[in-house]
Amino acid sequence: MRDRGKRDLWICWWVFPVFYTLFGVIFVPLTRVMPPPRPDVTADQITAFFDAHSLTIKIGFGLLMVVIGGGSIANGLVAHQMKRMSISPVFAYGYIATLAVGGIPGCLFAGLAFLTATFRPDRDPQLIALLYDIALLSFIGSLGCFATQYLIFALAIFLDRNRILPNWMAYVSIWQVVTELMAAPVFIFRTGPFAWNGAISFYEGTAIFGVYIACLIALLRKAIERQPADERVPD
Amino acid sequence: MTHEPKLEPRRRAAVKSGTPPPGCYLSGDTGMWVFVLGDLVIFGVYFIVFMVLRAGDPRSFLSSQRHLDLTMGALNTLVLLTSSWLVALAVQSVRTGEIRRATGLVYGAGGCGLLFLLIKAEEWHTMIGHGFTLTHNDFFMFYYMLTGAHLLHVLIGILVLALFRGEIRDPRLRRMSVVEATATYWHMVDLLWVVIFALLYVMR
Repeated sequence: MRDRGKRDLWICWWVFPVFYTLFGVIFVPLTRVMPPPRPDVTADQITAFFDAHSLTIKIGFGLLMVVIGGGSIANGLVAHQMKRMSISPVFAYGYIATLAVGGIPGCLFAGLAFLTATFRPDRDPQLIALLYDIALLSFIGSLGCFATQYLIFALAIFLDRNRILPNWMAYVSIWQVVTELMAAPVFIFRTGPFAWNGAISFYEGTAIFGVYIACLIALLRKAIERQPADERVPD
Repeated sequence: MTHEPKLEPRRRAAVKSGTPPPGCYLSGDTGMWVFVLGDLVIFGVYFIVFMVLRAGDPRSFLSSQRHLDLTMGALNTLVLLTSSWLVALAVQSVRTGEIRRATGLVYGAGGCGLLFLLIKAEEWHTMIGHGFTLTHNDFFMFYYMLTGAHLLHVLIGILVLALFRGEIRDPRLRRMSVVEATATYWHMVDLLWVVIFALLYVMR
């Protein structure tokens, strides 16, 4: 069965699906940011939204603040496999850096804004509405770092001659660049397919992200299986 | 554990004879076909969403469509179809070993790609000058988003054609699969444009 010499890698691998399952639980039933609430609502409706989901938002984003670090293990595992490729380690550094920076507006900031809104419900409804806008615009609309991350990952796979990951994963990563960029108009439109709850900006992008993550988890598993237990990965 | 590119026997035969071998032969590489089919699905969803919105307000979409310049659109279609034809000829030239001819053809195709960008930029410039911006209405929202997403593909495509050029430079490192895969990508860019042109400019 599995080599005991690779136990460390298998722990890291398991963090990946566990972490993303937790993400799903936090974002979908608990904090209600996926699918996102409507962008075209009044301040009173927004206050009512926070009143109705106050407890689950506190539990969900509170939990996120505790477990968010798990993402770094998952990303570290990808970077580790990238360092096994026949390419400059700069790609792995770039991958980690873009995700570390992108995670702030793409995840943490949204959580903090929602937590502020639910823990300070006595504020002016206009301020609560501002937190709602900031949270969802940064959650769905922060895309520069992620688009770069997907591009770095795709380039790394293309240039690698050790075949750590199959070529087609690079192409899956490029779809992600396209869907990230198609989410840019969420800042402009409050209704329709390009709003933050739109068919194209949100639903299509999320569906493809699901495909991407599923492929990545499966391929990392294969890569670890093939990896020799005593392999020294250069620093 | 570096991987040296090798020509499979079938491809070697294809390179020698100038025609694909009979029977089961997939040009390019599997990865590129995964990408092309997936990208067509992604764009397919954009087209469906466009049609759903159009069905909800056909009069506004039709009256907005009248402001588009059909001549410019048709010209761009012609430019891309020509470039696709040049790429197809270039692939055949690589197969028969006529590298100089292939190089010229690829430069021609890339030139068509650049011409497409110029024509599109001029078209956008005119549209914006007339006040038809991204936020004008749903039709123009789709006009800019669809043509913009496609433009991104053309930009990537020009880089991909540069890869084609680079791949055929050194005869010892030449891989027919890479040449075919880059050509496949360019044909997809062409195909997507034909559908976008039909949906935005022509469909009544």
